[in-house]
Amino acid sequence: MSQKSTHEQWGTRLGVILAVSGSAVGLGNFLRFPGQAAANGGGAFMIPYFCALLLVGIPIGWAEWTMGRYGGRKGFHSAPSILGVFGGGSVSRYLGIIGVLIPLAVSFYYTYIEAWCLGYFWHYVTGGIGVDSAAPIAEQTARASQFYANFTGRGENGVLAAGSVETFVFWSITFAVNIWLVFRGISKGIEKFVSYAMPLMAVCALIVLARVLTLGTPDPSLPEQNVVNGLGYMWNPDFSALGNAQTWLAAAGQIFFSLSVGFGVIINYASYMRKKDDVVLSGITASATNELFEVGFGGLITITAAFVFLGTANMIGAVQGGTFGLGFQTLPVVFAHMGAWGNIIGAIFFLMLFLAAITSSISMYQPSLAFFQEALGWSRKNATSFMVSICILGSFLVMYFSRDGIFWSTIDDWVGTFLIFVLAMIQIICFSWIFGIERGMREAHHGAQLHIPHFYRFIMKYVTPTYLLAVFVAFCWQNLGAWLRSVADEPLRQGAVGLIVATAALLVVCTWFGEKRWRSAGLDVDGRLPAEE
Amino acid sequence: MTPLGWIFLVVSLSFVWGLTGWCFYKVLTVKEEIERPPDSLGG
Repeated sequence: MSQKSTHEQWGTRLGVILAVSGSAVGLGNFLRFPGQAAANGGGAFMIPYFCALLLVGIPIGWAEWTMGRYGGRKGFHSAPSILGVFGGGSVSRYLGIIGVLIPLAVSFYYTYIEAWCLGYFWHYVTGGIGVDSAAPIAEQTARASQFYANFTGRGENGVLAAGSVETFVFWSITFAVNIWLVFRGISKGIEKFVSYAMPLMAVCALIVLARVLTLGTPDPSLPEQNVVNGLGYMWNPDFSALGNAQTWLAAAGQIFFSLSVGFGVIINYASYMRKKDDVVLSGITASATNELFEVGFGGLITITAAFVFLGTANMIGAVQGGTFGLGFQTLPVVFAHMGAWGNIIGAIFFLMLFLAAITSSISMYQPSLAFFQEALGWSRKNATSFMVSICILGSFLVMYFSRDGIFWSTIDDWVGTFLIFVLAMIQIICFSWIFGIERGMREAHHGAQLHIPHFYRFIMKYVTPTYLLAVFVAFCWQNLGAWLRSVADEPLRQGAVGLIVATAALLVVCTWFGEKRWRSAGLDVDGRLPAEE
Repeated sequence: MTPLGWIFLVVSLSFVWGLTGWCFYKVLTVKEEIERPPDSLGG
């Protein structure tokens, strides 16, 4: 068994902040958030939304940043090893496998969706997707939906069988770029890329925002379809929604999934920080950056643009179409109505989505790469080859079983949604209760320029776990029964669950080998010793 | 767009822009300490 001292570290504090922000900013910021807000009280949605940010999102983020940096000082870089330290034993170590399973399994389908963004970008650069703005709205929507179905292989299993070879080509390009960036390492690959990609994404967002806010009243015969009313559709508060538990659940869920907490990424990224790097300021800056893209851009662009061209009558369908319906079926219709600007804005919009997606996807590979390296004692090259083999297998299954997106949406339900709640609960309990809130806060404040307000000790120990548990119970109450029935009824869903279980089993075996290896190397696997100061 | 809609819009945007701006101001103006990296086991 060989020990590899790789000395991987972030080059700058800004680098790790941009990397975590890039991980958090994804398609949901531009597509899911506005739909959720418009459907759940408009401006009033921001009250439960910001409550969830302050009581759940930021506290769990701080806990993850702190655990990651502390684990890194003990020579660990993956969720199983770090949670083993914080949880004080094998139970938390094996539960920590979830922190590798989530990014790995989500990457199976995320690069596929990322490839759609790249493909749409390419089509808009080369002339659009063939939506004729002179045709009736229903016909335009049907054309956009047909293109989406063909491109993503929703019509039948096998994206190649559906006739879209280009989707596979775009996926291959996307996957290769991801792996190349991750293989180059933390500082030379991920950090360097996000330092260009994040500002470029902000520039794209500003251009699209400027165009949307200057649309005015595009059709004088429909004066009510103007930018101000579009903003009103998104932001006019409906206070009655605050009495509905669904609104609070939706707000907490949006914050939770948007910030990438409970995903296994922050704990890995933070483990490459220096021991006196500021986790408090870094954590809140990464969260704030995510909020800027979500509220500052996502809250102004998507719904407003759709309203101006489609009007109130068509907005209900657009919002109910969810994240992908809004982005890949409704917005192409909107771009077609922008005249000469349409293809340019469409290209910039999908470039922005692609950058949002790729800065997230590269963060999904690093945790499993780090885990295979430290658990199996392999070189970066061998660990990358192993991880790539698993990802290719998983992604091929996702692309082959493409009908109606059932296969990948099942992974998204169970791993990208359900297990994130579970991991976040495990993390906050390990941090606040097992490791101890006072000890955790002392650790968080090493090198901190900011002081976490004292009342956050109470919040992180009592309020955050309770809030999280309440949301989780409500979530399960609403969804779990239907999910279980759908798995029982649909062979594609059973296949997806089988893939998740097989991946988890592989990670359990690796963790078993890893634990033996870490103990024989004399590492403090159970967190019995204080970290070196 | 109702007056309350404008209020929610302006307050929300002010909050996220203000918080982000303040955070990046702190990040970019506080000097970083450069240390030797610790030994680590893989990853």
